[in-house]
Amino acid sequence: MKRQKLFLTLGLLAAIAGSWPLTSTIALLGPAEAATTNLGDLTPFRTIAAESKALVDKGDLAGAKARIKDLETSWDEAEPSLKPRDAPAWHVVDKAIDRSLAALRAGTPDAATCKQSLSDLLAIMDAGGKL
Amino acid sequence: MIEKPGHNSRILSNKVPEVTLAFWVIKIMSTTVGETGADYLAVHVGLGTALTDAIMTTLLATALLLQLWTKRYVPWIYWLTVVLVSIVGTQITDALTDGLEVSLYVSTAAFAAALSATFAVWYGSERTLSIRSIVTTRRELFYWLAILFTFALGTASGDLATEELGLGFNLGTVVFGALIAAIGAACALGANTVLAFWLAYILTRPLGASLGDLMSQARGYGGLGFGTSYTSLGFLAVIVALVVYVSVEDSRSRRRREQGGPA
Repeated sequence: MKRQKLFLTLGLLAAIAGSWPLTSTIALLGPAEAATTNLGDLTPFRTIAAESKALVDKGDLAGAKARIKDLETSWDEAEPSLKPRDAPAWHVVDKAIDRSLAALRAGTPDAATCKQSLSDLLAIMDAGGKL
Repeated sequence: MIEKPGHNSRILSNKVPEVTLAFWVIKIMSTTVGETGADYLAVHVGLGTALTDAIMTTLLATALLLQLWTKRYVPWIYWLTVVLVSIVGTQITDALTDGLEVSLYVSTAAFAAALSATFAVWYGSERTLSIRSIVTTRRELFYWLAILFTFALGTASGDLATEELGLGFNLGTVVFGALIAAIGAACALGANTVLAFWLAYILTRPLGASLGDLMSQARGYGGLGFGTSYTSLGFLAVIVALVVYVSVEDSRSRRRREQGGPA
């Protein structure tokens, strides 16, 4: 009876350890993305970034700071959907968003820095997070 | 056989709940609600990570003190503590991953080691890891430390699966659910119940996260599209209903025991 318990317990641990390669195989066999970039369609996020940039270009830094918060929240909400598609690319875009947020939220935001960070962000989004 | 504590300490009734279906449902849902609640404060309300972490840690310390102070299992206090441990455990892993750029491989391994060490010290001290005899404060401290590490480990390993395997929430729900079901089956066939309990407990963290994402993420992304707020409120309503149910059942069986009848 004790031996039976031991084998069952070892079998359980082996099954859990063995599920890793099985899961990775299933994950890799998943539906292929037809989109040009692995992250898929980033249009909703790009739109907000573009609008923020337009506000910065007009000199309305406060307005841009308010608008870009919508990007922060919508990007954050979509993380569970986007990150699994391409985690490294997701991180590239995420860091670019963080840089824009930091620029616009600085104590005294510098218009040139804000413009540059948003341009970079748009370029990165258009490249789907691929550098 | 339940080992009696070998040291002089206050003997309480078991401070933690029986492992029932209600237990697992509340556990899985409280994982989801904890995560979305903390995220809401950090991002939507705009408190930022550092301040939210500090607030949650303070709330956890308060709830834990209350939980340790009670003389018996009080459902609302216990589950409030679980939700807060869930939040803080997640925040610890996130702070390491995002703040200190620690690799998820490293944090997964480190938390697995920390959890094992906790069990080793717990067993060395108490000679039992049974969650049916959490009857002293010392055992309860071991218990909560283990719970905290299961949440941190569950977060790290779940995030690792997302990042390295591209495991989304649809497949994730299936995989983690199936693993837990397999553990249940092994238990029915005679596998060690203590090991099975803790493995299943760890897995409920990524399962809760995947399930919440499945319900809240947009239809275009393959989710059910309920949104984070409604999913959280819905889960919270279920938790409250189940905790009320469990509390009523618990006080009923205590009254029956006091009257001398079977529980």
